Amino acid sequence: MFKRLPVILAFVAAFAFAPHIAAAQETLTVFAAASMKNALDDADATFTRTSGVKVTASYAASSALAKQIEQGAPADVFISADLKWMDYVAGKNLIKPDTRVNLLGNRLVLIAPADSKIGSVKIGQGFDIAKLAGSGRIAVADVKAVPAGLYAKAALEKLGSWAAAEPKLAQAENVRATLAFVARGETPLGIVYETDAKIEPKVKIVGAFPADSHPPVTYPVAVTASSKNAATARYLAFLRSSAAKAIFEKYGFSFLIKPVS
Amino acid sequence: MLTINVEKRLGDFALDVSFASEGGATVLFGRSGAGKTSIVNMIAGMVRPDRGRIVIDGETLFDSDARIDVPAWRRRIGYVFQEGRLFPHLSVRHNLDYGRWMNGRARDDAAFNHIAELLDIGPLLDRRPGKLSGGERQRVAVGRALLTQPRLLLLDEPLAALDADRKREILPYFERLRDEAKVPMIYVSHDAMEVKRIATHVVRLDGGRVETTGGADLLSDVMPRESGASSNP
Amino acid sequence: MLDLSQQDWTAVLLSLRIATVATLVSLPFGIAVGYVQARKQFWGKSLFDAVIFLPLVMPPVVTGYLLLITLGRRAPVGSFLADHFGIVFSFRWTGAALACGIMAFPLMVRAIRLSIEAIDIRLEDAAGTLGANRTWAFLTITLPLMLPGVIAGMMLAFARALGEFGATITFVSNIPGETQTISAAIYTLTQVPGGDRLALQLVVVAVIISLVALVLSEWFARRAGARLHGN
Repeated sequence: MFKRLPVILAFVAAFAFAPHIAAAQETLTVFAAASMKNALDDADATFTRTSGVKVTASYAASSALAKQIEQGAPADVFISADLKWMDYVAGKNLIKPDTRVNLLGNRLVLIAPADSKIGSVKIGQGFDIAKLAGSGRIAVADVKAVPAGLYAKAALEKLGSWAAAEPKLAQAENVRATLAFVARGETPLGIVYETDAKIEPKVKIVGAFPADSHPPVTYPVAVTASSKNAATARYLAFLRSSAAKAIFEKYGFSFLIKPVS
Repeated sequence: MLTINVEKRLGDFALDVSFASEGGATVLFGRSGAGKTSIVNMIAGMVRPDRGRIVIDGETLFDSDARIDVPAWRRRIGYVFQEGRLFPHLSVRHNLDYGRWMNGRARDDAAFNHIAELLDIGPLLDRRPGKLSGGERQRVAVGRALLTQPRLLLLDEPLAALDADRKREILPYFERLRDEAKVPMIYVSHDAMEVKRIATHVVRLDGGRVETTGGADLLSDVMPRESGASSNP
Repeated sequence: MLDLSQQDWTAVLLSLRIATVATLVSLPFGIAVGYVQARKQFWGKSLFDAVIFLPLVMPPVVTGYLLLITLGRRAPVGSFLADHFGIVFSFRWTGAALACGIMAFPLMVRAIRLSIEAIDIRLEDAAGTLGANRTWAFLTITLPLMLPGVIAGMMLAFARALGEFGATITFVSNIPGETQTISAAIYTLTQVPGGDRLALQLVVVAVIISLVALVLSEWFARRAGARLHGN
């Protein structure tokens, strides 16, 4: 066996150091908010079919993505779930400002596991979310940085529920992790976007947060300053097209601009 | 052929020896702890003396004043260790060939077969050291050292790890080396019986110094089983 | 039975590749450090040994973070490497390999060190008397005797590198096709509605690969023992 060792090692080394099997096609890297996953995957597939450009999407909390871009991550396009994080990267001159567009909107909802005994609730001033959660916790995204968590905190503060709710929070890394908590029945309640709730059959929406209880949920899109990718113009044009509009609206996003094609 | 004149401090023990050897079998005799192994290690180049000179056949191997210290691998001095130190991952044959291989010399079947016959290790050639008896290991160790065609062979208590029967069995091989192969030897021992049979020349050591030198008759006053201790130096 | 997507298999292949590179590149360092630890004494050796061991006991995220602030594109060492040599680690598979290599290094060094310590140093002396200089003695005596131990160390490091997550995701994040390893892919799938089934399939794949690596490591370690005793 040891006589064959050099051959084995050579084979292994060749595999390891062989260059990436270069795809003959163009590629584009998008960093997008976690809540965009299903809708954007769908849209990207359509874009690839029509343009031939392969899209690699990395989904995470917008806060994490903004920090990564700041660290020099090789993203071509950034889609944030709030204005704050787009402003953050813009302030560091990390995006091309003339490409920035507020593309989508969303709504904040209260969810429970699908088999929960909790029925519909009306969410208004003085909403006692802590009582509704009982002995369990309320799943939210990290309230210090992640957009979904920031919106949730803002809403609870506005409604006067924050003080009682804060010690009962179960904070997750991003809104999809939050969704997963509720889907698995780990927590009796959770606060996510309407679009997230719609794709998870294991949760049900038990209430909607009034639009004026939090800053409007806005998804800005921009091309990063470091991107030298020629396909970004086509991609952004696609995101603003009616084809894309149809896809996003199907998932429950609101399309904030007039489609350009 | 060998002149040695060295000093070395070893812990709280000071070594200061000076002697010469004209060939044949020179035995370093003395109690355990007399410094015999250290002397042999210095001749081999494995230990560096504090001061002194070591010259073999006119070539200076070590000279503290002239700052000469030829490394062990260039001294062409064979060494048979007390515990053999055969390479466990190589067969007996490859152990024997190791020296030739390291010196880039061509195969010499005549020499190889001669040594194998001299030491009766022919039947052992394809075995691994782990499957040899103590006596067989020592014989292979001798053969391995000899096949480097050394100008001097050092043997450090080569029979100490063997029982009386084994010793009696192997001693004749050393006599053959001395008489037939005519290899100059420096042989360390604290066993008078061994010494009496092997030695053509005796250097008797005590407390790190040469007490006396002479022929084998030097040991006539020594009882057959005299030794310093049962442990090895 | 297995209905993993293209992206998932990419993650598996990427993990294998990253773990292989991490192991191969850290090997010479592992042998050097193992040799020094086994054979050499010097002032500050205890501190040296502790530093080598650090990645094993520190939280992986800490290691990843340290890598980010030193080797990130805009960090001191990272920007120097990028500007002058075009070498970039952050958000690249090379960075993932670096993170995995560092996390697995203590395991490799330990196995190698133990295998060298088990070799009688007097064998190297004996080789010297037979005409081998230090280098040849190392190559012909020490290296073959420690080889099974080295391979055991490599397999162990490979298995560890394969499962690396905390340092990797902190340093190079989670970019499919570039830095999304098996662990990151599984993690991502746990956040995808209905992704549990696929996550479990990936888990099975990961476990199988790790088991094979560990069994091979054990086998080689045992061979090392047998070899040393001349069997």
